Amino acid sequence: MMQIVIQGLLLSGLYALIAMGFTLIFSVGRVLNLAYGAYLLIGGYVYFTVSQTFGVPKPIGLLIAATVGCAVGLLKYRFLVKPLKGDHVAVEISTLILAVVLQAGVVFLYGDSSKILLPIVPGVIQVAGASVTYNLLAATIASWAILIGLYIIVRKTHIGRAMQAVSMDNKGAAISGVDPDKINMFTWGLSGTLGAIAGVFFASYTQLHPAMWVAPLIIAVAVVIVGGIGSIIGTLIVAHIIGFMEIISVALIAPELRGVFTMILIIAVLLIRPQGLFGREELQ
Amino acid sequence: MTGIRWYHLALWIAFVAIMFVMPQLVSKGTLRIIIMANFLAIFAISWDVLSGRTGYISFGHPFLIGIGAYTSAILTKRFDVPLEVAMPIAVLMTMIGGIIVFLPALRIKGSYFALVTLAFMELIYQLVQVIRPDLTGGTRGMSGIKTITRGAVSNYYLSASLLIAIAFSMWLLMKTQLGIALSAIGMNEESVRGSGLSTTKLKLFAFLTSAFVAGIGGAFYVHYLGSIAPRALFDINFLFTIIVAALIGGASTIIGPIIGAFFLTFLLEFLRPYLPGAERYFIYGMVALLLYMYQPKGLIALMHTGWNKLTGAR
Amino acid sequence: MSHPLEITNLVKRFGGLVATNDLSFHVEQGQSVGLIGPNGAGKTTVFAQIMGEHRQTSGTIKLYGKDIGNKTTPERIRLGVSRTYQVPRPFSDMTVLENIRVGQMSSSIWKMITTRPNHEREEEIAHSVGFAEADLHKTPGELSMGDLRKLEMARTIATGTSVMLLDEVFAGLTVAEIAQIATLIQKMRSDGMTFLIVSHDLKALEPLVDSLVAINYGSKIAEGSFAEVMGNASVRESYLGVV
Ligand SMILES: Nc1ncnc2c1ncn2[C@@H]1O[C@H](COP(=O)(O)OP(=O)(O)OP(=O)(O)O)[C@@H](O)[C@H]1O
Ligand SMILES: [Mg+2]
Repeated sequence: MMQIVIQGLLLSGLYALIAMGFTLIFSVGRVLNLAYGAYLLIGGYVYFTVSQTFGVPKPIGLLIAATVGCAVGLLKYRFLVKPLKGDHVAVEISTLILAVVLQAGVVFLYGDSSKILLPIVPGVIQVAGASVTYNLLAATIASWAILIGLYIIVRKTHIGRAMQAVSMDNKGAAISGVDPDKINMFTWGLSGTLGAIAGVFFASYTQLHPAMWVAPLIIAVAVVIVGGIGSIIGTLIVAHIIGFMEIISVALIAPELRGVFTMILIIAVLLIRPQGLFGREELQ
Repeated sequence: MTGIRWYHLALWIAFVAIMFVMPQLVSKGTLRIIIMANFLAIFAISWDVLSGRTGYISFGHPFLIGIGAYTSAILTKRFDVPLEVAMPIAVLMTMIGGIIVFLPALRIKGSYFALVTLAFMELIYQLVQVIRPDLTGGTRGMSGIKTITRGAVSNYYLSASLLIAIAFSMWLLMKTQLGIALSAIGMNEESVRGSGLSTTKLKLFAFLTSAFVAGIGGAFYVHYLGSIAPRALFDINFLFTIIVAALIGGASTIIGPIIGAFFLTFLLEFLRPYLPGAERYFIYGMVALLLYMYQPKGLIALMHTGWNKLTGAR
Repeated sequence: MSHPLEITNLVKRFGGLVATNDLSFHVEQGQSVGLIGPNGAGKTTVFAQIMGEHRQTSGTIKLYGKDIGNKTTPERIRLGVSRTYQVPRPFSDMTVLENIRVGQMSSSIWKMITTRPNHEREEEIAHSVGFAEADLHKTPGELSMGDLRKLEMARTIATGTSVMLLDEVFAGLTVAEIAQIATLIQKMRSDGMTFLIVSHDLKALEPLVDSLVAINYGSKIAEGSFAEVMGNASVRESYLGVV
């Protein structure tokens, strides 16, 4: 029982981190970034190369991965999303294509087989009879820290308020002196950074694989849809619902069904309450 | 969206003629490639009838194709049902699947709809592996499925006839006022309602037609391959190829998805000697992305402008 | 004889906001009624309820004596009521004729497949709203605001409507275009069409209507002939900003 609670909390923290970057883009940029999963892919592989192949210290590896993620986010906005000028279908399709391209790029560079990422923080601790890897614990702590930081940024800082304004109304924001383009730029960069960091932790939790972007994308989609677009708190709560559902189905029902309940939850919520359980469209 | 003209029919006749003499012109290996292109074209047409027209982007098309393929495979292999019974049942099941995908479209649009269809695909991918693996073959899938005919040439003619029959009947259907009404939904659904047309009925029809074509395609496809595996079918790369074939060929046309399917299949084969594995998708995807960004209306629009420049027309 | 359009005690709430407040009025056969009120008075919301785009909170809407309160928009259109939109909403990749064709289509899928489009009727409608021959194959992107409003009217006429609701038909038009559309409305009136017209341009509206209904904050504040309503103190205060 304790095992389930602890594992559930840890996994949920990771999922919240994964979903966060995705919800930012969905609410501020108003577009579905199907290449979001690719940030995780890039983050994982960059970190692997830098710290495991070249032996650079792990924190620096994480930093470099985050920087690359940020750069990819900015490039994506500048060369893909902006030229398509809010044509949602075109953005969805082209980000889907981009994700496939990036996956193939990884196969090209690293091959098809999966790689094991060494734990970022090695070691295991026993908590109430449950064994907890320091690695997942670190991921959870990091994700909580990032989420709290993000909440403060969005709620309290100038740029956060500007993001909220853009998420409500592009034109209105422009009239009140906010440059939606700059805010979008910032959001895409931030989203890429978060995705890459999440990717490092996710890869160390599972493994590095060229197709590793699909599962987190689905998780991000699920959390965002069920939680409601743009709600940071909603994201956090639903990440826990989904995380616990998975852990419970693995422990008590059947491990193969771990994803099934998530899918059913997405479909059910979209049908019954399309705006999500906590949903508003604006960032809040 | 104009009426039927003489040159349309001339092009159709030329297309049928080329497809007919193809086995005399190319090697058996190339023929096998064209068979794959034919199936891809059928899937792309199925996608386009729904998503290209009405703007309801389906990311779950492998879901429909998979229902058709799995139903027919299971019936023939596990229950010894004859092909001519199993395949119609498979098409029927796919149309029921089409209604399932249609239900969300009553309430949600745009990105949300696309996402729910993606979830459908992932859901069936996981379910196929865990529910009754004795029937579905679980993660490893099934092999030794009955084939309809043997040999490259007869399989080629089978798939080509299927493609021509589907493409021509869809083309005729889309040339009627119905085609205009479906396209109108993609442009402005509210205005279609405001013009007195029931969008519910129209959408249901589009979903059923799309599923019908997907079901036929899926059933014939599995009885051509003789095997089926969940990861090859419910796969983002497969989905990507279908959508991209329709889009870079030219959405909302019938000839577009065919051109796109042939272009993509041959591009992939052309790359094979240089890049044998999945990394081919890198170049392949880049070409698709650049083409799509450059001309979202697809190759067919590029050909149109090229033709007009050549003949000096407007 | 029952009236073509009759609204009784109509109420529409958006959360706390009362957009239509116990509104009743009717339009008689072949008559043209103007619906006026300041910005945000709730005119468009009344149209949306008549068409079934928004369900009313309470009250009834009758078309030729028949309660249409639980019919869908397409069903209402087939019963003979249709509207234009304040912001034109054409089908962007279709020509003028094809836009009209959508309005003209039968709602049965079988008929859509089996019947050919009636090109003569399409062109007749297009010409009747003032499109020149050269415009018929243009797409909405190539049209002026005035042309887009004409296209809205043409598509509405094509549905075969007998009660036409026009929302801000004169907004953003040149003087010449206003005159053209006014002439069209006059002609359709003499042919027996029933109208409910929303317009801020009172000068253009005056010759086109038999009577006026003025609303503010969703409630009716005056009703009667153009002169009567214009003379009404609360209309002058709320709407014209003069006491
Ligand atoms: N879907 C909606 N949800 C919430 N409030 C709405 C909605 N539609 C309209 N309103 C509100 O109802 C009131 C009436 O709006 P409506 O558009 O009917 O006014 P109008 O008289 O047509 O104004 P205008 O002259 O500007 O076109 C406004 O306060 C508006 O903000
Ligand atoms: Mg209005």
